[in-house]
Amino acid sequence: MIIEMLYPEIANLHGDNANIDYLAQCRPDARIVRTSLTDTPAFVSEKVDLVYLGPLTEQGQLKAVERLRPHRGRIEALIEAGTTFLFTHNALEVLGSRIRNIEMDYDLPAVGVFELESTARMFGRYSGKVMGSIAGLQHPIVGYKSQFTMVSAPDSLPGFLTADRGIGRNTHTAVEGVRRNNFIGTSLIGPLLVINPHFTRALLAQLDPDTEPVLAHESLAIAAYDSRLADFHDDRRWHPFERVSPEPQ
Amino acid sequence: MRVLLAIWAAKAAAAGLRLLGRAGTHVPGLIARTIHPGIIGAIRHPARVVVVTGTNGKTTVSNLLAEALEGEGLRVASNRNGSNLAAGVAATLIGAVSWTGRSRADIGVFEMDERSARLVLPGLRPDVLVGMNLTRDSIKRNAHPAYIAWIVSSALSTETTLVLNADDLIISSLGEELNERVFFAVDRLPTDGDRPTGAAVDVAICPVCDHVLDWDYWRFNHIGKVRCSNCHFQSPEALYRATAVDGDRVTLSLDGDTRDAHLINDSVVNIYNEVAVAAALDVLGIERDRIIAAFDRIQPPTTRFDTDQVGQTRVVRILTKGLVGVACSRAFDYLRSFAGRKAVVLTIDEVSERTTEVENIAWTYDADYAYLADDSIGQIIVGGVRRHDQALRLAIAGVDPARIVTVENEIAAAETIGLDDVDIVFNLHSVHNAVITGTPVQRRLLERLGRRA
Repeated sequence: MIIEMLYPEIANLHGDNANIDYLAQCRPDARIVRTSLTDTPAFVSEKVDLVYLGPLTEQGQLKAVERLRPHRGRIEALIEAGTTFLFTHNALEVLGSRIRNIEMDYDLPAVGVFELESTARMFGRYSGKVMGSIAGLQHPIVGYKSQFTMVSAPDSLPGFLTADRGIGRNTHTAVEGVRRNNFIGTSLIGPLLVINPHFTRALLAQLDPDTEPVLAHESLAIAAYDSRLADFHDDRRWHPFERVSPEPQ
Repeated sequence: MRVLLAIWAAKAAAAGLRLLGRAGTHVPGLIARTIHPGIIGAIRHPARVVVVTGTNGKTTVSNLLAEALEGEGLRVASNRNGSNLAAGVAATLIGAVSWTGRSRADIGVFEMDERSARLVLPGLRPDVLVGMNLTRDSIKRNAHPAYIAWIVSSALSTETTLVLNADDLIISSLGEELNERVFFAVDRLPTDGDRPTGAAVDVAICPVCDHVLDWDYWRFNHIGKVRCSNCHFQSPEALYRATAVDGDRVTLSLDGDTRDAHLINDSVVNIYNEVAVAAALDVLGIERDRIIAAFDRIQPPTTRFDTDQVGQTRVVRILTKGLVGVACSRAFDYLRSFAGRKAVVLTIDEVSERTTEVENIAWTYDADYAYLADDSIGQIIVGGVRRHDQALRLAIAGVDPARIVTVENEIAAAETIGLDDVDIVFNLHSVHNAVITGTPVQRRLLERLGRRA
C-alpha cells in the first residue's frame, strides 16, 4: 500500500498528521511517500492508494494551490477512477474554486476541482463539535471544527457526512465536506482517523479489500471513541452556536 | 474629559477592589475601556514604554526587566502582577497616572498577550517591543503561530524598535521592512540537534524559495538556526548572544562586547530570557556593567516545577499546560532529562471542558509524547475524563500499553501508582487543575512514601 502525504513540511497543523501515523501503525507494510513542495507529487506518475493533504496556514494554502494547479486534470482523473483521497481541514479548500480572505487582502482562484468557495474571517474563528452519519457506516463520525473559513457549494456536490449535531460546510447547512467516489474532503480538524476507529476500519477495507483490516491499539481506540460518543450524546455539552441556522432571506 | 472620567472610574474601582482584598488588575481596565475604548492611546504614557510578548517567556522577561530597571532607580509601571490583556494594560497605565492624569512613572514595562496586540499596540506605540518566540498554543484561540505573527505585525508602529529572537524565524519576521530591529540568540548547545524532529515544526522550508532548510543547530519545535542551500537565505545575525553556559555562569556577547554573567536559571528557555533581558536593557541605554550586575540580583519568578524528597524517592511536580502541545513537549522533555527509574501521574484534562464541553484532543498530537516512551519509565497512570484518549496517544507514541493504567478519578492516581523500585515519581498536572488535582496528588504521594519510609 502506498500513501502519499503532500507537503508535510507545511501541511502539518493541529495534529492532523496523526491520521497517517495511525494508518501506518495499522498497516506497517504501507510505504509512506512524503512529497515536498519542490517535488512533483508521486500520484502524477505512479499508482498511489491514498493521497493525503493536511491543514495549512493561510500562506501555506496558497502555496499548495500553486503547486497542485498544474495537476488538476490528473487529480480529477484519479478521483473519477476511484483513487482514495483524504483532505482534512482547510486542505479541502485548496481543491475548491476560490479562496477569499479580505483581511489578508486576497481573493484568488484555487485548483478548481470542486465548485466550492471558501471565505475567511480572520477575527471570527468558529470552533465547535460535529456528530454525523455517513452512508454505509453504522457508527457516527465524531469530530471538531476550529476554522477561520466557511465554505459554500451547490447542493449537487455530495458531502462527506450529514451533521446530526453541529454545523456542516457553513452555519446554514448540515452537509459537511465533500465526498466524490473515494475522495473524502472534510473541514473537521485533528486526527479524524484516530478518534473514529470504525471509520478507519472501513477506510482500510476500502484501500485493500483483500486484507482483513486491523486497527492499531484497537481496544484503546474503541474505549476512547465510546467515551467521546457518550459525551457527544450529552445535551449539556452542546451550545446554541453549534447548530444549523436558517439561511437569511 | 472622557479620559479623566475613565481614569477616575478605574481608580475608584481599583480602590474598592483593594478594600475587598482583591488585586484589581483587570476590572478597572475593563471599566476604563468601556467608558473610553481608546484609553490606552489617550492616557498619558510613561516617558518610555517597553512591551514584551510571545508564546513563552513574556512573564519572566517583563518581570526581570521591571526589576532590573527599578534597580536603576527608575519608577517602573508594570503589569507584572496582573492581566496581560488590553484591560490589564489599561489598568496599569491608569495606576501609573495621578487623578489629574499626570504620569508618575519613568518607564512602562508591559507583558502583552500576543493575541491582544491589535487592541494594545496601536494605542500604546511602545518604544521597544521584545519578541520572545511564537510557537503553537491553544488551537481554538491562537490557531497557528503565523496567524499570531500576522496579528502582531499588523498592529506594529514603525517607530517601535524590535528586539527579536533570531532563533525563531516566525517572530524574527516581524517588522521586516519597516522597523529598526536587533536580534538575540543562544549559540549551539550540547543538547541541540542537527535537524528538526518531533510533532510541531512550524518552519521547515525557506521563506524565499520553498526549499527545505538546513539547520546549523535545532533546539525544539522551529527554534534553531537555519540556512537555505538553494538561495542562501539564513537566520538573522544576532547582535546579542549567549555564547557559552557553564554551571551558573553564562557568557553574553553584547554587540561584540563579551561579558561573564550569573545565569538566572539553567533551563534553555531561561537562557533565552536572560539574553533577551540583556538585549532590551542595552537598547534602552543601560550601562553594560550594570546590566551584568543586574543578573546577580534579579531572579525569575517561581519556576513551573517543584520537588520533594522522601527517603530515597523524589516527587517532582511539573506544570504541564493542557491544550498546548508545545508546552507539554517541554515538560515531557524535562522529565526525560532526569536519571533514574521513574513513574508518572499524568492528569492534564482541561478543567473547563469536562462537563459542558468535550475536549478536542487534537493538541495532544502536536505534543511529543514519544519522550515518555522511555524504558526508564515503568508506569504511567492517566487520570481524568479523557484518560482513554491520553492512553491511546501514549500507545501511538510508542509507550508500551502494558505500562499505561487509566483511572477515572485523577487524585486516585496517586493511590494507584506503583512506588516499588522507583527513584522519581512525577506529578504532571495542568494549570487549571493545579489546586484541585496537582496539590492533593502531591500530598498523597508524599504521605504514601512517608508511610513506607
